[in-house]
Amino acid sequence: MSTPIATLLDDETVSAVAAEVWSALVGADEVLVPGRGPVAEGRSAWVGVEGPWSGLVVLTCSTTATDDLTRAVLQLAPTEELEADDVDDVLRELANILGGNVKSLLPGPSTLGLPQTGTPPHPGSDVRPVGATWRGHPLTITVQGATEAPAQHPTTEVTS
Amino acid sequence: MRALVIDDSRAMRRIVGSILEGFGYQTRPAGHGREALDVLEESWIPDLACIDWNMPVMDGLQFVSAVRANPAWRQVTLMMVTTESEHGQIVRALAAGAHEYVIKPFTADAIADKLALLGLLPQGVPA
Amino acid sequence: MSTALAPTAFDWVCQLVRRESAIVLAPGKEYLVEARLLPVARSLGLAGVAELVDRVRARPDPALSRRIVEALTTNETSWFRDGDPFTALTSTVVPALQAARRPGEVLRIWSAACSSGQEAYTVAMLLADTLPGAAGRVKITATDLSREMVARTRAGLFSQLEVNRGLPASMLVRHFSRVGTEWEVAPALRAMVTASELNLAAPLPRLGPFDVVYLRNVLIYFDPATKRDVLQRVRRLMRPDGWLFLGAAETTLGVDDTWERVPCGRGSAYRPTRGA
Repeated sequence: MSTPIATLLDDETVSAVAAEVWSALVGADEVLVPGRGPVAEGRSAWVGVEGPWSGLVVLTCSTTATDDLTRAVLQLAPTEELEADDVDDVLRELANILGGNVKSLLPGPSTLGLPQTGTPPHPGSDVRPVGATWRGHPLTITVQGATEAPAQHPTTEVTS
Repeated sequence: MRALVIDDSRAMRRIVGSILEGFGYQTRPAGHGREALDVLEESWIPDLACIDWNMPVMDGLQFVSAVRANPAWRQVTLMMVTTESEHGQIVRALAAGAHEYVIKPFTADAIADKLALLGLLPQGVPA
Repeated sequence: MSTALAPTAFDWVCQLVRRESAIVLAPGKEYLVEARLLPVARSLGLAGVAELVDRVRARPDPALSRRIVEALTTNETSWFRDGDPFTALTSTVVPALQAARRPGEVLRIWSAACSSGQEAYTVAMLLADTLPGAAGRVKITATDLSREMVARTRAGLFSQLEVNRGLPASMLVRHFSRVGTEWEVAPALRAMVTASELNLAAPLPRLGPFDVVYLRNVLIYFDPATKRDVLQRVRRLMRPDGWLFLGAAETTLGVDDTWERVPCGRGSAYRPTRGA
């Protein structure tokens, strides 16, 4: 068992990391207000961390916000069409950047996995969800320790 | 000036690419290190490569090592652009041969500042 | 979302900033006032900048006035900003000073509008890397109008977004360590830098005498008469063979004729004229 995440990270630190990601990537005037959540219906992207502490960093964004968020990150006009994978691609990259920055605050050395979207593995008891609000939409950044038995999900992508 | 933008995220390739194009660069995207080597092998030799670290097939560090191992590609300035942000990781990338390092998240100004340091910001572009 | 600041409120803020810092906010900077002061207003539980201005006007509060001035006079800085004055330091200035001084004599350098400390620590890193024994013989004085900026310079802690701004990666790994989400300057470099509050537009305390002064991107904010006063006060704190670096858009020419402009590295520096 690795150290519980609650003793390694506090909410303020996770919020501060997320606020930096938002101001750099989403826009200089974009404020990520800490608090609120959970997200009732959302889309998630996550990235795995493996090392002395192993687990996932999951970004869950309310489905009402994903289009706006994608347009903001890609700097698209409201009239420009989004491509099919744009929303997931942007969420994956946000999760990747959040994950990398969270990883740097945990005991190392650790490695970062590749980001994924879909339904994230269910968190065990070692979980730290941090809520935030962007343009009125709720989102959460959840740092969750690996569960005892690795979640059984089929691997769709095989890299040699 | 030419730049190769290597990242598995299309969004990130678009962001970095459009910043560089704003400075007058001609850019080409690659989704991972192997794809980027293919571009170099067809003799499209850039002045600058912006390189993500964690990517499928071939990661950024492997790409850096491969470029530094080939004298024909010596003119390419290698700049990591990655969320890897531990002190030790930056040391590893520099040791592998990267010339500069930008931590994600970054702003367009951060890219401009690094290009200015590297002498890769075309004259007349306000930093 | 945010409404434009009323002209009377904007004028009042301009007068306050001008009086306290001699910095002139040009018309059209309403957006800047709005963006910089909104967090101050919110931190006091006020709805907006108009309410903040109303409050200080109704009930004068020096501490709050100061916060307003500080919020409007601080800038984001990058490392090696306009790199020439730094490359010139190691290529031209330090060799010239070494030739003119006794061996081991202390070099005094002044970062006269230090903001959060990037300029002072850039100088410290360059000299630590190129001048043997720099830790014992280089004294860097960093001053700023803003109390908050002086405290930040003293702390030597920088966010990830800040170290991303033009700090060479090789210097980052050599001179900084990670502390939580931030990067901390090495103690040896912090020991070279002394930071204090100072208003360039008021009579200056006894400092120096300095061999090198960085006074960059400050004069642009002052009116012509204040520019001349500042340059004269700075000159009195410099050694006769000292070097002054101004911002790329600044000059002493036509402002104060007791300086000589000399080529220095790829740019230029200013030196006190003899007998001035």
